[in-house]
Amino acid sequence: MTEAVQILSRGLGIGSVYALLALGFVIIYKSTRVISFAQPAFMLAGAVLATYLVIPLGFFAAVPLAALGTAALALGVERVAVRPMVGRPAFTVAIITLGVDVVVRVFASAFIGIELRQVRDPWGLKSTIIFGTEVQQRHIAMLVTTAVIVAALYAFFRFTRMGLAMRAAAYDQEAAMAQGISVGAVFAMSWAIAGALAAVGGVFAATGGGSVEQTLWIIALVALPVIILGGLDSLLGAVLGGLMVGVLQELVAQYQQYFPEWMGGNISVITPYVVMLLVLLVRPYGLFGTREVERV
Amino acid sequence: MKRLGAIAAAAVLVLAGALAGCRGADSTGTTDASGIKTDIGVTKEPCPSAIDKAKGCIYLGTISDLSVGPFFPLAVPITNAQKAFWNRVNKAGGIGGKEIDVTTYVKDNKYNPQTHNEVYQEIKGKVLALAQTLGSPTTAAILGDLKANNIVAVPASWTSLWAFEDVILESGANYCIESMNAIDYAKGAKPTIKSVMAVHYAGDYGDDAAAGAKYGAEKLGLTFTDVKTDPGAANQAGAIAQILTAKPDLIILTTAPTEAAVIVGGIGAQAQTTGYAPQVIGTSPTWNPALNASAAAPAFAALYLQSGPWQTWGANTPGHQAMRAALGTPSPLVDGYTAGWVWSYPLKAALEKAAANKDLTRAGLLAAAKSLTSVDYEGMLPSGAGNYAGGADGGVVRSTVISKPDKAAPTGVTEVLPPTVGPTAQGFKLEKACYTPA
Repeated sequence: MTEAVQILSRGLGIGSVYALLALGFVIIYKSTRVISFAQPAFMLAGAVLATYLVIPLGFFAAVPLAALGTAALALGVERVAVRPMVGRPAFTVAIITLGVDVVVRVFASAFIGIELRQVRDPWGLKSTIIFGTEVQQRHIAMLVTTAVIVAALYAFFRFTRMGLAMRAAAYDQEAAMAQGISVGAVFAMSWAIAGALAAVGGVFAATGGGSVEQTLWIIALVALPVIILGGLDSLLGAVLGGLMVGVLQELVAQYQQYFPEWMGGNISVITPYVVMLLVLLVRPYGLFGTREVERV
Repeated sequence: MKRLGAIAAAAVLVLAGALAGCRGADSTGTTDASGIKTDIGVTKEPCPSAIDKAKGCIYLGTISDLSVGPFFPLAVPITNAQKAFWNRVNKAGGIGGKEIDVTTYVKDNKYNPQTHNEVYQEIKGKVLALAQTLGSPTTAAILGDLKANNIVAVPASWTSLWAFEDVILESGANYCIESMNAIDYAKGAKPTIKSVMAVHYAGDYGDDAAAGAKYGAEKLGLTFTDVKTDPGAANQAGAIAQILTAKPDLIILTTAPTEAAVIVGGIGAQAQTTGYAPQVIGTSPTWNPALNASAAAPAFAALYLQSGPWQTWGANTPGHQAMRAALGTPSPLVDGYTAGWVWSYPLKAALEKAAANKDLTRAGLLAAAKSLTSVDYEGMLPSGAGNYAGGADGGVVRSTVISKPDKAAPTGVTEVLPPTVGPTAQGFKLEKACYTPA
């Protein structure tokens, strides 16, 4: 029981990071039909920015400001590098985002320097007892924050004019434009939201004694199997897929010592990709993705 | 006829290429005004930033982890310390009427063996020796070429294999012996220790330390388990699970600081309910003083000790004092500076001996290095250290320093055991490398 609760708490904690990153991927995909490979760079940039802001402002002010700063950065990138490519094949734009990812990561890395930069979160490695089991506070904080962000996103898409415009554009861009919706603004907003989500994910990924280092972005790659698993155009799929992958990864990590030696010592790292492949065999559009019907 | 002509032309080209290739290893060289024979990497012209423009220049290469690798926070200070070291040598008049340049040929290996080899190939025709080649697996990638070209190199690593390579001028106890000393110390301080686990990177760094830990554990009748882990904060869940399942009394940790933070923090986070509080001793590159400010700091304070081949920044030997005078107070202050400084002494001694022998060719420098029976480390290592003529077992340094985290100390640690040779390391015969790459 103790072990199960701990695996679940750790898995939901790290799964929340995956969910935030995956949400960014999905939001951009829904509005632009492009998979943005720049998310890992925004994650790193946001976390680095937070390490600078946290010293004068404290953690709770630094994180929203870092998210806003990263949103502004993503907005700038969208305006300069992506907007001019509207109408080009999605593949071309995706490759551009790959280039953007490298450029932004190189610049963000330059700000890391030789110090171990820390986000100085208030939870550290402190634990609290839940169901008689020690659970790290940071994992609870990650899950709660993600739940709040998901609820806020739901409210945004459901009750605001921009949210409605984004949903309309996601459904049919041309029809939305015909109704007077600024699709450019929708693109910009989707990039900004994705940037902010990546920043929060990056900060959480660097909690727990670790530090913001140049390789932090690799965690964002796990969001790719998450979005394929959950469904490329499903916000619900991104959240549930992220949490599911987090828990599965922790479960495998706990028991991988009993696996055959030839499988290597870190099979939990490939778990998301194995799960993705298995799910795709059964549901090619992911667990919650929209089944596409095409004339052939 | 046409074909014959083409073949002849090709043969000429191949021959020309071969001759050009051989030029890099030419041992005939030239002799300068002071009668010193030179070949590659030594010029009559002054160094680009010479103190005395009348002196010639000895070019030394540096290949380090300067941007994205896991040891970047240590490698930059190591490189800066070596610049300061050689600057001090130049201010004191240089060697053999020449100054030493370690700033022209500085390359980034990104801690990748292939990149290491690529950048080495770029500079090898221009330098006499390597003032630094950082990393064990990376240096292993160029070892054959170093030997083929008589290029002496100073490793920024401590794998036991270096004791068997004439071209490598290593300093201090290797990882293998350091682990033996760490286990001896831990067992002496806590006689209740019954089990040891080595948690480490795979390869020349981690496996060398693990081999020493295994030997040390067996000598003391302790049970031993071996856990390999991959670099990256996100990849440590498996290692933590194995530690918490096996619950060893002593963990010898051989990773980079990021992994150390996650692993030690991970154990500490569950100490409250499990009551499990092992002794963790990290091999020297595992530490970074910033860990004292991390969320894992309480766990480090409670569980962690640091082993190392020499005393830290604040020690009071003449060498330490000279280092502090040359470097001032760098920020952030890490013991990478100390390491870079100490590592440079043997190459200085070899260059001085080669200059005294009137032979600053690559072969002359190698011969001088091989004949060194001791190096003046200005007290930073025990007397007798630097006996490269004494063979692997006769020349190996066996002392280790144990320190504990201390937020107030300059490099975040204070010494709890001065340089000491434990009984296991004392009796150990270094007849072959503790770990050899497959």
